Amino acid sequence: MAYVKTKDTPSRTPPLNESSVLGWLKINLFDTLYSSVLTVLVLIAVFFAVKALWVWGISDGVWIANSRRECFKISIDGACWAGIFAWFDSIFYGRYPRTDLWRIDLGGILLIVWMAPLWLPRVQGKILIGLSTVALYPFLAGYLFTGGDKGIFMQIMLSAAIVCFFATTANAIIGFLGGGNLIAFILRKTGKNKAPEKQQRNMLLTILAIGFIAVFLWQRGWSLEGVTWTRWGGLFLTFVIAGIGIASALPGGILLALGRRSKLPVVRVLCTSFIELFRSVPLITVLFMATTMFPLFMPEGFVLNKLVQVIIAVCLFNACYMAETVRAGLQAIPRGQYEGAHTIGLGYWGTIGLIIMPQALKHMIPNIVGSFIGLLKDTTLVSIIGLFDVLNILRTISRDSPWLGLHQETLVFGAMLFFIICFAMSKYSRHLEVKLSTTHKN
Amino acid sequence: MAIEVSHKQTVHVRPVEKFDFFQDERVRSVFFQLLTALAVGGVAWFLISNTAQNLEKRGLSFGLGFLDVVAPFDPDFKLVSFTVGVDTYSRIFLIGILNTLYVSFLAIIGTTFFGFFLGIMRLSSNWLISRVALAYVEIVRNVPLLLQIIFWYSVIYAVLPRLKQSLDLSVGAELAFLNIRGLYVPWPVAHDMLWFSFVALAIAIVAAYFFRRWAQQRQDATGQKLPIFLPTAAIIILIPGMVFLSTGSPMTWDVPRLEGFNFVGGASLPRSFIALLFALIIYHAAYLAESVRAGVLSVSKGQSEAALGIGLRPNKVLSLVVIPQAMPAIVPPMISLWMNVVKNSSLATAIGFADLVAVYMQTSLNTAGHAVEIVGMTMAFYMTISLTISGLLNIYNKRVQLVER
Repeated sequence: MAYVKTKDTPSRTPPLNESSVLGWLKINLFDTLYSSVLTVLVLIAVFFAVKALWVWGISDGVWIANSRRECFKISIDGACWAGIFAWFDSIFYGRYPRTDLWRIDLGGILLIVWMAPLWLPRVQGKILIGLSTVALYPFLAGYLFTGGDKGIFMQIMLSAAIVCFFATTANAIIGFLGGGNLIAFILRKTGKNKAPEKQQRNMLLTILAIGFIAVFLWQRGWSLEGVTWTRWGGLFLTFVIAGIGIASALPGGILLALGRRSKLPVVRVLCTSFIELFRSVPLITVLFMATTMFPLFMPEGFVLNKLVQVIIAVCLFNACYMAETVRAGLQAIPRGQYEGAHTIGLGYWGTIGLIIMPQALKHMIPNIVGSFIGLLKDTTLVSIIGLFDVLNILRTISRDSPWLGLHQETLVFGAMLFFIICFAMSKYSRHLEVKLSTTHKN
Repeated sequence: MAIEVSHKQTVHVRPVEKFDFFQDERVRSVFFQLLTALAVGGVAWFLISNTAQNLEKRGLSFGLGFLDVVAPFDPDFKLVSFTVGVDTYSRIFLIGILNTLYVSFLAIIGTTFFGFFLGIMRLSSNWLISRVALAYVEIVRNVPLLLQIIFWYSVIYAVLPRLKQSLDLSVGAELAFLNIRGLYVPWPVAHDMLWFSFVALAIAIVAAYFFRRWAQQRQDATGQKLPIFLPTAAIIILIPGMVFLSTGSPMTWDVPRLEGFNFVGGASLPRSFIALLFALIIYHAAYLAESVRAGVLSVSKGQSEAALGIGLRPNKVLSLVVIPQAMPAIVPPMISLWMNVVKNSSLATAIGFADLVAVYMQTSLNTAGHAVEIVGMTMAFYMTISLTISGLLNIYNKRVQLVER
C-alpha cells in the first residue's frame, strides 16, 4: 500500500524578497520599528521642505514683472524671478557690449567644435588635437574677446590658430567618416601616396604654407573693435579665469610634483617649499597679494591689469594643489614600473612620459576633476577683489534700483548654475573612471 | 689526446670607467641644481630689487614700525577691548587673529559633530535616510562656499525680526535675544574667589582620570566591570560645585537689555558671525560625511560579522570594533578639513565680519599701506596654523602606526 498524492500541493507564495515592491519597501524603509518611525518623520520633513520650495519658487513665483515692487503686488511671498530675466544677459556676459555678444558665443562654439573630435570615434591624432587646442585656441579666443589692434606676433598666432582649426576639423570629419587621417587623405586624393617620402613632405608643407599665407593675408583686412577687460564679466569671465586655471594647473602641477619627488635636493626643496607655501594660505590672501604686491614686483612703467594679476594668482595657487593630487597618483605606481622602464632602456623623461604619467593620471581622474570643480568654485573669490564674475553680477542685481534687495532669488539661481556645471563634471569623471579602468572586475 | 682544461681563474675585468664630462650623472646633477638655483635666485633678486626700487620711488619705508601707529578705525567684533584713537595696528592684528581662531574653533566643533551625524545617515540601511543625506552632500559640495555664505547672510537678514520685535530665546525670561543685528546672550562675570572653583575643577578632572585608570586595571585583573560614567560625572560636577557654593558663588551673569537703539551688556554675536559659522558648518560637514563614510566602509565586513558572531550587540559592534578601526582612515582627512575650515573662514571678508583678512589685510592695508609687511604677516599666521595642524596629524599618524604593529 502506498500513499501517493494524486493532487499537486499548492505552491507557497514567494517570500517577500527584493523582487517585489513591497519587499523592497519592507527591507529598505520599514525594517524595524525604529526605522519605520524615522522613515515617516523624514518623509514628512521632506514633504514640507519640497512643498515650501515649490510654493515659493514655482506656484507663487513671479516670472514677468518690471520691478520688485510689481512682483510684490502680484505675490508677496513668492520668488521674483523676473529680476533674473531682466539681468539674464549680464549674468552670462557681464558688461560686454551688447552688439558684440556674438564674439563670445563664437568663441565658445569654436572651442566646442575644436574639442569635439576628442569624443568622436575613429578620429586619429587625438593627442595632437588636444595639444593644439591648449596651445593655439587661447590666441584665437583672446583676440575674439579683446579685439583691437593686432600686433605682428598676434597676427601670426591668429593665422596659425585658424589654419590649425580648419585642419583639425577637416581631419576629424575625414576620420569620423572612416577615411583615416587628413594627411593620408590628401596624399590619396592627389595620387601621391606612392611617391617618395621627400616629395610627399614637400607637397604637404607647400599646402600648409599656402593655407597659412592665405589666412594671413585675409586677416590683415579684418579687425574687431577693442573691448577692455573691465567690461568682461558674468559667467563668461568665470569661465575665462577657470579655463586658464585648468589649462595651466595640470602641466604646472605635474612639473611641481616631479620636482618634489626629484633626486636633486635643490629642486626638491624649492618645489616642496613653493607647494607648501601656497597650500597653507587661503586663496583670498593670495589674491590680495597679487593685487597689492604685484605692482611693487614689476619694474617701473610695467603695469599688469587686475585680471592678469588675478589669473596669475589663480594659476599659481591651483598648480600647487594639483601638484599634491598628481603626487598622490605617482605614489600609487609600484616601483616595478620604474624598474621595468629602466630595463628597456628608457631615460628619466621617457619613463615618466610613457610609463608612469599615463598610469598615474588615469588613477587620479576623479581627484583631478575634483580639483577642477574646486577651481571653478574658487573663482567666485575674485568677486571680493572687485572683478565682475557671475557672483558679483548676481550681487549687483540687488543694488539695481528696480530690483533693490533681490537677494535670495539671484543667489539660488547662481547656486543652480554652479550645481549643474559641477555636478555634470563630477558625474562625467565617474563615467570616465569606469570607462578607462583596466583592472579586472569580478 | 688529453683535453686541455684551463684551470685559470676567470679574471674579472673592471669596465674602464671613461669619464665623460657631459654624460656623467654627478656632473649633470650638480649642473642642473646650479641652474635651478641660479634661475630661482635670479627671479627672486629681480622681484626684490624691483620692490625696493618701487618702495623708494614712492617714498615708502619697509619695516614693522607701522604697528605702533594708532589705528583710525574700530573693528565691529572683538574679543579684547579696543579704544579708537589709543590702540595701534598691533592690537588690530591681535583682534583679527582672535576672531579668526574663535569662529574657526566653533565651526570645527560644529562641523565635526554634524559631519559624523551626516556620515552615519549616509551609511544608514534605511534607503530614504541615506538618500536624503546623499542629496544634501551633493548639493552642498557643488555650490561655491562664498555663494553659500552670502546666501545665509541674506536669509538671516530676511528671516530675523527687527530690533524692537527681538526674539526672546529664553521664552519670556528676557535673558537671550535674537534679532536682525545678531545674537545677544548673558555672559558670566567672574569675581575674586572664582579661581578656587577652577582649581577644584582641575583637581576633579585629574581625580576622574585616575579613577578610570584604576577601574580599567581592576577590570583587567578581576573581570569585574565597575560603573564608570556616573562616578566620573559626579566627581567632575560635585567637587567644583561644592567649592563654588562654599566660596559664596563668586560669579554673576551680565544680562543683555534693550537701551535706546541697541542691546547693552552680555555678549553678542553679530549677524555676519552667525551666517559665517552656519555656512562653514553646513559646507564642511558635507565633506566630513564623505570621509566618515569612506572610513567606515574601509573596515572589512568580516570584522562586524565576526563581532556579531561572538554575540556583541549592534551598538557595541559599532563602538568597539568598527569605529576604532575606521578612525585611522577618518582622522587624517578630518584634520586637513579642519585646516580648510580655518582657511575658508577668511571668506568672512565678503560679508564684513572682522576676521584677520578683513580687518588686517583689507582695512589696515588700505589705511596704513605697507602691503609687503601686512601680506607677509597674514600669510605667516596661516602658515603657522597649518604647520601646527600638520604637526598634530603627524603625531597622530605615528601613534596609530605604533598601535597597529
